Amino acid sequence: MLDCRGRTALGPGGVTPEEIAEKVDGLREAGSRLRRRPARETLAILGRIVDTWRDPNSPWRRSLVSELPEATGFSRPLVVEGAHRGFETWSRAAMDGLLARELGHPAALDSTAHRMVSGFETHSVVLAGQVPMPTVLAMIAPLMLRSPVLAKPSSRDPVTPKLVARSVSETDAELGHCLEIASFPGSDRACSRALVEADCVVAMGSDASVAGIRALVSPGCRLVSYGHRVSVAALGSTATHGRALACSAEGLALDIALWDQLGCLSPIAVYVIGPGLEAADRVADALADSLGRLASRLPRGRVEPAAAARTSHERAEAEMRLAAGRPIALHIGDGWTVVRESDATVRPSPLHRFVRVHPVQDEAGLLDALGPLGPHLAAVALAGFGGQERRLARGLADLGVSRLCRPGAMQSPPFDWHHDGTPLLTPIARFTDLEPPGPSDTA
Amino acid sequence: MTDPARAAIDQEILAWMRESEWRRDDDRFQRLALKLFAFQFERCAPYRRFCEGRGRTPDAVGSWREIPAVPTGAFKELDLRCFPAEETVHRFRTSGTSMSVRGVLLLDTLELYETSLLPAFRRFLLPDLAADERVRIVALAPSPAKAPDSSLTHMFAAAIREFGESGSDFYAANGEREADPLLRELEDAAARETPLLLCGAAFALVHLLDEMQRRGVTLRLPDSARVMETGGFKGRSREVSRSDLYARVHRSLGVPPARTVNQYGMTELGSQFYDSVLRFPDEVRRKLPPPWTRVAIVDPDTGEPAAPGQSGVITIVDLANTGSVLALQTEDLGRRVGDGFEVIGREPGAEARGCSIAADALLSGPAA
Repeated sequence: MLDCRGRTALGPGGVTPEEIAEKVDGLREAGSRLRRRPARETLAILGRIVDTWRDPNSPWRRSLVSELPEATGFSRPLVVEGAHRGFETWSRAAMDGLLARELGHPAALDSTAHRMVSGFETHSVVLAGQVPMPTVLAMIAPLMLRSPVLAKPSSRDPVTPKLVARSVSETDAELGHCLEIASFPGSDRACSRALVEADCVVAMGSDASVAGIRALVSPGCRLVSYGHRVSVAALGSTATHGRALACSAEGLALDIALWDQLGCLSPIAVYVIGPGLEAADRVADALADSLGRLASRLPRGRVEPAAAARTSHERAEAEMRLAAGRPIALHIGDGWTVVRESDATVRPSPLHRFVRVHPVQDEAGLLDALGPLGPHLAAVALAGFGGQERRLARGLADLGVSRLCRPGAMQSPPFDWHHDGTPLLTPIARFTDLEPPGPSDTA
Repeated sequence: MTDPARAAIDQEILAWMRESEWRRDDDRFQRLALKLFAFQFERCAPYRRFCEGRGRTPDAVGSWREIPAVPTGAFKELDLRCFPAEETVHRFRTSGTSMSVRGVLLLDTLELYETSLLPAFRRFLLPDLAADERVRIVALAPSPAKAPDSSLTHMFAAAIREFGESGSDFYAANGEREADPLLRELEDAAARETPLLLCGAAFALVHLLDEMQRRGVTLRLPDSARVMETGGFKGRSREVSRSDLYARVHRSLGVPPARTVNQYGMTELGSQFYDSVLRFPDEVRRKLPPPWTRVAIVDPDTGEPAAPGQSGVITIVDLANTGSVLALQTEDLGRRVGDGFEVIGREPGAEARGCSIAADALLSGPAA
């Protein structure tokens, strides 16, 4: 369909392929101007932006809290708490630490020394989901390398990208010119093709979505992808009694409730080490209590019919197994479900505060149980393993887990954590090694 | 079958299925549904305890709508049967991947299964055929010898036996060499004017269309040809929207969307539901239930019927399921459309709300 100027007509989603190409051209020019500024100046501006995202009273955080619930269906208290937890590790210092760790020294961006670092001339990012922190980070990370960014918002979250763009442009207008947004339906292949004309593309989303982007990028393009992930928790014997159990359960309930279990750092299952079912029953009981208490403080948000149908189906399926005499336990509350399973078999997880508690005999059994999830595991919360923890951590790392933390901390990853097990900046950077002069360089 | 109570119920239901005219009879359905529920409550212990857990005993249930529906996933875990295990004569298994558990429907007789499927097949796929006329059936499915536990294969075999002209057969669509006989058959059909039914799982149809595209082949099947597709793409290497699939069928085979029928069925059910387009071409596309079934669209949050026009969980009460459980809660969303319903599938590629993903999706790796 063409408009009166012979251009592809604007679809319901927003931009046309031609407009995307214009945006990329504009970004190329803006990026060129940006790279003439000293890197330390850009990084100082970005440091201020990162600090303001941590500040709950900043305009962006206030707008996030006021606009995200309506757009995404999350409850307002949940967005407040989730943003507080998610951004609490963000700071200029944390950003500097990230730069130092991944680039050696931020000066490498301007350096003419033996190792030089550059961003790409143009960078596009395909955003996914509706948890705001990954969106903010994906949009500002290329700017740290002075790569201008064209972002395609997730259809689920039109709010956060817009706020990121505002936070950048209102802090520094020139840097603001290095950030553009292109909204269009993911099914629009012409727009998608125009988007991936960038020199570097970061694709976030389902494995199918990422595969779709991969099929479009040209061979010379740097593609960095982040697929769907799941997280779990594991409790050793000392975390299944008394005060330690109460702490673990409260922490895990928070990890589950935040972002209504839709983030890749949300645990979908809790594995409890120990013989028999007693320890797992204690954990399931405590978790159910904690989720019940949280339901009023952090109400569950909107649940779409398909998700509600999956939850209803899984609850009924557990009811049926219980009726058939299977040794499981079922706790159902208003907007949450805990199923204490009889073994470690991985089962469907409909999300939206639906968690399974699995008994496992020992640490080796845990690693076996997680094997099928290995390629998709993001974080594992651990507690109660005492002296065994390091060895278990090693086994989990070998499975592909990219983050190990305590219950209650799953939704507060460090600013510089290895999302999907990879660094944040180096995959989207270009490194140039300048070797020492040889004999031919000397007179 | 050795249970006289069950035999008596089966006879009543079979008599209804064999009537030449389809008549919706609410009183008859209600009476038979409650009778069958009471029987299954008595004979199937897991189902009885499930119903008791919900406070729905035969004494407390006064309408087919109140009969507790078993989630289809339960067939992966439990033997849901109302007859002794040693009387099992057939097992149908749900499709699945190497990593997922497959559900099993146990049957002590195939009589109800076939008596239910044939009139619906004829009514919605072959409404224009004279009583003694037969149709060339090209089934994109493994043969009964290769897939004895596939309910879809069994259905096609029964249809070929009852309605197929000689030459009707099973064909593979996946693979370069394997597709040769199928393409030859379709090329022959394109040159004839005899009625043709091309039927199979949706992903098998996609394989055929891919292979035709790879070879640069397009055909124009006779105007009397029709296509039936069923099933989704869960666990498959890629997804194709139904509208895209129908457009490709039109382009590559010359069969328009108005002659392409979706069948909604599942291994756990004895009856199937077809699009109305061939039988009622001037009416809105919808699925029309056989008289011995009822389809409820249920609000998943409340368990109550969804408001008119609203989507909800498709819940089916099927009198053909005398040997297992008659009321099933599916995993699908649907919406009521006139005197029928439509199935609302997730659009392929639709974004998940979060970056997490249901574990079943992770575990259902590409199958083919």
